Amino acid sequence: MSRRNVEIIISGVGGQGVILAAEILGNAAMREGLEVIVSEIHGMAQRGGSVTSHVRIGHKVYSPTIIEGSSNMILGFEPIETLRSLKFANKKTRIIMNSKQTIPITVSIGASKYPSLEEVVAQCKKFTKHVTVLDAFKIAETAGSSMTVNMVLLGALVKTSMLPIREKILVQTITDNVPQKFVDLNLKAFDAGKNALPIC
Amino acid sequence: MYALRDPRVILEDRLGDRFLLLGNEAVARGAVEAGTHAVTTYPGTPASEVGDTIAQIANDAKIYMEYSTNEKVALEVAAGASFAGARSLTAMKMVGLNVASDTLISLAYTGVKGGLVIVAADDPDCFSSQNEQDSRYYALLANIPCLEPSNSQEAKDMLLSAFEISEKLKLPVMLRMATRVSHTRGIVTFGPIRREKTDSFVRDPKGLVLVPENARKQHKVLLEKMDLAAGISENSRHNRVAGKGPVGLVTSGVSYSYCVEALQMIGVRARILKIGMVNPLPVKRIRRFLQNLRRVVVVEELEPILEAQVKAIVGDMGKRVEVCGKEAGFFPRYGEFSTWVVAAGLSRILGKTLPSDYDKNFRKAAEIGRSIPPRPPVLCPGCPHIASFRAIRLATEGKAIVATDIGCYTLGYQPPLSVGDIMLCMGASVGLAAGISKFADSPVVGVVGDSTFFHAAIPGLINAAYNNHRFVYVVLDNLTTAMTGHQPHPGTGTTATGTASKRILIEDVAKACGIEYVRVIDPFEHRAAVSTLREAIRQNGPAVVIFRRACAQIKTPLETLGERKSSELDTGNSAMREVTSSSSRCP
Repeated sequence: MSRRNVEIIISGVGGQGVILAAEILGNAAMREGLEVIVSEIHGMAQRGGSVTSHVRIGHKVYSPTIIEGSSNMILGFEPIETLRSLKFANKKTRIIMNSKQTIPITVSIGASKYPSLEEVVAQCKKFTKHVTVLDAFKIAETAGSSMTVNMVLLGALVKTSMLPIREKILVQTITDNVPQKFVDLNLKAFDAGKNALPIC
Repeated sequence: MYALRDPRVILEDRLGDRFLLLGNEAVARGAVEAGTHAVTTYPGTPASEVGDTIAQIANDAKIYMEYSTNEKVALEVAAGASFAGARSLTAMKMVGLNVASDTLISLAYTGVKGGLVIVAADDPDCFSSQNEQDSRYYALLANIPCLEPSNSQEAKDMLLSAFEISEKLKLPVMLRMATRVSHTRGIVTFGPIRREKTDSFVRDPKGLVLVPENARKQHKVLLEKMDLAAGISENSRHNRVAGKGPVGLVTSGVSYSYCVEALQMIGVRARILKIGMVNPLPVKRIRRFLQNLRRVVVVEELEPILEAQVKAIVGDMGKRVEVCGKEAGFFPRYGEFSTWVVAAGLSRILGKTLPSDYDKNFRKAAEIGRSIPPRPPVLCPGCPHIASFRAIRLATEGKAIVATDIGCYTLGYQPPLSVGDIMLCMGASVGLAAGISKFADSPVVGVVGDSTFFHAAIPGLINAAYNNHRFVYVVLDNLTTAMTGHQPHPGTGTTATGTASKRILIEDVAKACGIEYVRVIDPFEHRAAVSTLREAIRQNGPAVVIFRRACAQIKTPLETLGERKSSELDTGNSAMREVTSSSSRCP
């Protein structure tokens, strides 16, 4: 395993499961015997605000937050929330983004304009060419519940082989951390994410 | 196997096992390891999870736990428990410490009996607060010891030390947290659990009844205790030197973590004096650290408190040591730090250059950032406050001057609801509305939530009745403390640990405060809500209108409120644990 840290930004909207995804990664990393720090700013997440989690996995980590421009991975649960996280990206950063929009109030009252998916992808590509877009919402829905977007994206993350965590450990951590009656639903979404075909 | 958010795990011995805990959960585990007998709190981000975690295990742990009506009461209950011989802990956000400060400053004079620790969580960058005050000033003001952890493990370890210091000196001790410590998960190794019985109350009126004659003496006693505290600080393992190199840094709390990585970023080796006991400072130790330095960098979030004290130490040494910190403009006195902020300051001081790609990235991201639609938090779909605000707008034709308060409903100040012209702090709405009403031509409305009402509005309401202020006080009663995670309050009829209790009705309180016009309306009864408000505005004195409907996130039917069980307060019913989790951990 590399001596370098793996630094993951997870960004989305309150209610999408950003914090749970980050906690699962954090606990799985701990089970692998790695050092890990998970920092969350949920702010007023529950009220539909932006949520960002910083997951830092490695051999020695101190700061609770990732240094701007130095994340290895951005898991974007929503297009414009992905854009908001670009300050953490560099030209090697891998971005995995959900294409499904969650319209903020500033757009619905006409105070600002929501960019097209093409525009969002173009902005991401100003930072890195490693951009993968999935319709995680639809994949989750097909797998059983649109509420499992977070598991779809974790599945897609595993497929990149960038995680220093074995898949079986991650699956075990998911199993231990979602309510028992929803374990199958979540694991199905996780598998669907692993096998998903990117839309661009 | 450790399941996330199964709080019972913090009750288990599990000596040496490792868990990924929030700073606040680590404090809760620390409370268990310390054998704490009593925990009190008023919820407030970023401190809420301390109390919320304890609340879930208190019965099993045989800890007395309560959500008190406000932080002052919380501290007093904890202090009372301490005088009765119990180890006690009270947790609050930093502005709660303002509320508790009257008690705190005199409590330092009486001292305590069983260990008493005050956990105060600061919020640099105002993630969920109305100001960026620095709680360390209260440790200096009250003259009590203060420890400051930089991560979850230290939060637990320092809590244990805080109890030891408190019992040794018979003083309350503060544990200063910050958002990035409270809300960061780090690996924590469990230690042994202390199980000791409480002591008993010992009468000592000369020490505990602070009439002037006794208070004068107790002030001297306090100063003597703090001399002993200085000795403890000199030898504390929480003050330590890390690293080697030609550069010297003094830092504390989460800033330490940023320092370590910032030094790596700019490729500088340094000796870091990490201060864990921030009051009183280990003066001799700092002197020794400064001995061979010509320049020292002080890195701390918010106020330059370490910096001012380090400068005073340098002055006493009669030595020329340049102290670089906030006062010379190297680090900001507002907002939270990051590795980048610290690296930028260090590079200017040391004449180093920052990696240029970072800077380029920053500018590129800032450019894109300007065009991203903002996503401010909003009231939830189905939120009863939306109906209440619409009624207020209609009844006053949008002309009312509205003094609002702290809670979800503060969000109503934003368009399109636009209800809320001023908001300061817990309970301020009632006094502000009274003052505005004396001189304004428009109708004046005060808006307050149910939990905030019990917290701080009652003296203001009595004042309004006594001095006959003419305004409408709207109480948005959603039957829970929604913003901080749905904690119960006196109006819910359940306690922190789920026991049914006396339910205090806001309308009864309002009447008892001397308000003659008191109405209770369901805000979803739109017409009745509007006409009642219109009638209230026509009154010649203060009027109270209570809009009562349960928060959209709790499923409690209004009709069954009396029989409500605490389990129903849980929103945990969906596949999406995160919905629940964010709801239980939001500010």
